[in-house]
Amino acid sequence: MVHYEMDARYDAAKHTIDATEVLTYHNLTGQPLDHFPFHLYLNAFQPKSTWVRESKRDGSRDTTYDKWEDKQYGAEEIKSFEVVGQGDLTSQLQFIQPDDGNKDDKTVVDAHLPKAIAPGAYVQFKIAFHDQMPETQARAGWKRDFVLGGQWFPKVGVWWHGAWNCHQYHAMTEFFADFGVYDVKLTLPQYEVVGASGVEVSSVDNPDKTKTVTYHGDDIHDFAWTASPRYKVKDDGVFQGQMGPVKLQILMQPAHWSQVERHEKILKETLDHFERWYGPYPYKTLTLVDPEPDSAAGGMEYPTFITGGTSWFAPKGLLLEPEEVVEHEFGHQYWYGMVATNEFEDAWMDEGINEYTQVKVEDSIFGPNTSVLNQWGVSVGERELQHLGYASVADMDPIAQKAYEYYSFNSYGGITYAKTACLLLTLEGIIGEDTMQKAMHIYFMRYRFTHPAKEDFLKTIEEVSGKDLRWYFNQAIYGSPVLDYEVLKITSDPVNWYEERKGKKKEDDKNLVYQSYVSLHRKQDFVMPVELEVKFDNGDMVREHWDGQGRWTRFGYEKKAKIMSAEIDPDHKIQLDRNNFNNSQTLEANVKPAHKVGNYWLFLTQWLSQFLTWWAI
Amino acid sequence: MAENKSLLGRGAGMVARNKRYIIWFYLLNLFLGLFGTVTFLTHARTVLDHSLYADRLLHGFDLAVFGEMFARPEFGPTASSGLSALLFSVAFFLATALFLPGVLQGYASPYGLAREGAFTSGILHKYTSEARLSRDEFFRACGRNLWRFLRLLVIFAIVAGIVSGLLFAARAALLKMAAESTIEVLPFSVSMATLLVIFLVMTVIRIWFDLAQTDVVLSDQGAVRKSIAAGFRHTWRGLFRLLMSYFVISVVAGLVLFAGLWAWLRFVPRESVFKAFLAGQATLLLLLIPRFWQRAVAVAYYEENIVPVVALQPIIPEAPPVAVVPESLVPPLIPPTPIAPQES
Repeated sequence: MVHYEMDARYDAAKHTIDATEVLTYHNLTGQPLDHFPFHLYLNAFQPKSTWVRESKRDGSRDTTYDKWEDKQYGAEEIKSFEVVGQGDLTSQLQFIQPDDGNKDDKTVVDAHLPKAIAPGAYVQFKIAFHDQMPETQARAGWKRDFVLGGQWFPKVGVWWHGAWNCHQYHAMTEFFADFGVYDVKLTLPQYEVVGASGVEVSSVDNPDKTKTVTYHGDDIHDFAWTASPRYKVKDDGVFQGQMGPVKLQILMQPAHWSQVERHEKILKETLDHFERWYGPYPYKTLTLVDPEPDSAAGGMEYPTFITGGTSWFAPKGLLLEPEEVVEHEFGHQYWYGMVATNEFEDAWMDEGINEYTQVKVEDSIFGPNTSVLNQWGVSVGERELQHLGYASVADMDPIAQKAYEYYSFNSYGGITYAKTACLLLTLEGIIGEDTMQKAMHIYFMRYRFTHPAKEDFLKTIEEVSGKDLRWYFNQAIYGSPVLDYEVLKITSDPVNWYEERKGKKKEDDKNLVYQSYVSLHRKQDFVMPVELEVKFDNGDMVREHWDGQGRWTRFGYEKKAKIMSAEIDPDHKIQLDRNNFNNSQTLEANVKPAHKVGNYWLFLTQWLSQFLTWWAI
Repeated sequence: MAENKSLLGRGAGMVARNKRYIIWFYLLNLFLGLFGTVTFLTHARTVLDHSLYADRLLHGFDLAVFGEMFARPEFGPTASSGLSALLFSVAFFLATALFLPGVLQGYASPYGLAREGAFTSGILHKYTSEARLSRDEFFRACGRNLWRFLRLLVIFAIVAGIVSGLLFAARAALLKMAAESTIEVLPFSVSMATLLVIFLVMTVIRIWFDLAQTDVVLSDQGAVRKSIAAGFRHTWRGLFRLLMSYFVISVVAGLVLFAGLWAWLRFVPRESVFKAFLAGQATLLLLLIPRFWQRAVAVAYYEENIVPVVALQPIIPEAPPVAVVPESLVPPLIPPTPIAPQES
């Protein structure tokens, strides 16, 4: 569909790029095209842009913008714009703001062509542009002598569902682009160590102490690169994939070199899981970049190129870095890289699905409940972490909305990433884990190298499971009802409660018949059938099913035993339930957990008072 | 170094002979800590007591479940638990300010008396092993010095606030410069190094005011400015000895905390609340010792350099009024009978 040929020169002192771009576009839309919108993402890093405005208002991943600093400025300026056969159209380019009408936003430029491009025809654009890279923001820019070249070139929008899809760059959105071929020449100082998307074709030293490195990438929809004079490179790793060997190139910060094996290990393990569970990784290379510390460049995905994130202090039990980051970003090679969903409109389909597969892969590699932290007697699993993230914003936004329409960055993160993971884990409980895995595999194989939409994914799951799941999708994905079932009350009283008990022996109590009740309550609007497990003090156990339709229900028992506990979702399949504490109730209070955490609090209080007193009196 | 050892040793001796102060302060610390924990515990029990999910906090410690507990509306705002803890921390701080003069007096009492006694009667052992401040004297010292200590506290807060403000500003500037470095560990190293410097400087200020407090109590000095001046002079003269002594004791405190937490994590079963309580309390009890040791070092140094110690006047009950009788009415004195020499 697209073929980008770019020749770029990076000035490491000024953090600028001067480049030419030849874009060949094959009109496969089935209709004539008379205008082409282009993303100019780097223009987002300007004080009046929509990106900065939203970041100030809603929060962002990296920057609060309490104060504007010159080094935060980024720009992408088109010096010339020629359409082959139609002349220079530079003066006719127009910035457009399809999302919010902010006239100061220059992240989308529209080119109207004098002559429409016929269906099936090719058109070639010749563009010269100049970039000013910002100090790293949103995983693009420079930090000290490091640079991450992300979203650095004019990129044409995507003709999708009968229209151009070319959104402005928002604080909470990522990207969307067509698959194509990339041939890129990067000229930069010879001292730089370089990594990029695709395959390195050549590297030639120039007389002016620069070098030109050429890359080629097939069937990718973006091209990113990085350079730093201090990278240490490990490029002898090979993963034997289903479609041949994959060369692993790891660019590490020198201070993190001792962790290079950890990076390679988790990369290979993740690759192995994804190939076995979802489908083959077809590319010949994968570049993993350990970015400059303290830069906003960590944890990012580009086709065949990901950035991790670690620090010089990374004990092995603290799996948040680097393992967690590497696993997550690699997952995007599937959910974004190959299954290239629209990150502006369906962010949950790349971030959320990826988060779900991350839980699965990390559970498999590190064990459930310990996949994020397993140190000093304290543990956290990715699954639990996602539930925590979701629970805090469960009623804020539905999943199925544009990424820039979320209330805040927290809500975007909690819903897009965490709620999606929770709802897919819950779905496993509905259709079965094996069926879910099969559905994910078919979804990947069917939609790789395409731009699927929500229904493509949902229908695949329905098709594979053979179930009508609309009741679930309508609530969990299209709506915003919250799921919260609780054990409202449990009681156990002797049937003959009115009889005098004084003077009776304990043996007689054993023969007492109790009338017991368990009341369940649907606290919120999400309706879902639930299982109930009731345990009695004679060891009996009963399982009940409630369709969850009413606001409440009650189960009654007459037994020679008292209820010990009642628990909704005893197999812990409903990850989407906002409050796990009220899913169960015991007849007798167990004060030990509260006393345990209370003891921690007591220790902290006493220590705090001693510390204060130590210094101040 | 030998002198240092001596100062530390004598301070340790004072602490050892007055263990009751540590016990009392520990009990006060525990008592107020329990009050400070009531809000948190009540909130936690609301969420955890009847939930099977809470088992994940008992058999292990799932940080996400802990986070979920805080996020529950029925747990209430975390700030209320934090505020309660903070208030009781301040209460302990004020109680310490109130009772500290008695401690200083108590530390000085046997030593001061012992030194005087050593010249007069040579019964050093008796004083050092048995002499102790009476309860009345303890509280009298507390009451007598309360306002002096509050005045000292205000001046200390001003001095420490200004100095620490300047030091932290300098630290922030250094960290900003270090952040530009391509050596990743540099900001951390600078952070640690500057914290060490700030710690040492603040320790010097602490020594200065510890000596001033000691002077206020032991010389019964009503004009705290004179004690501050005396404290400053003597801090300056004995800076190295005092700083080294304080530093060594601080290191001991750090080791105690580390060892206590290590033992807690290593040996206490996850689900044993009582053993965890004991481990925590033992650590906290031991953590009180170093600060008292530093106080004792200040007293020892004071006695060594700023003698004489003004011994507390004993409490003498007032004599009943005596009737004045005209001299003419007084019967003549009977001369004493000489005692005959005893025959052997």
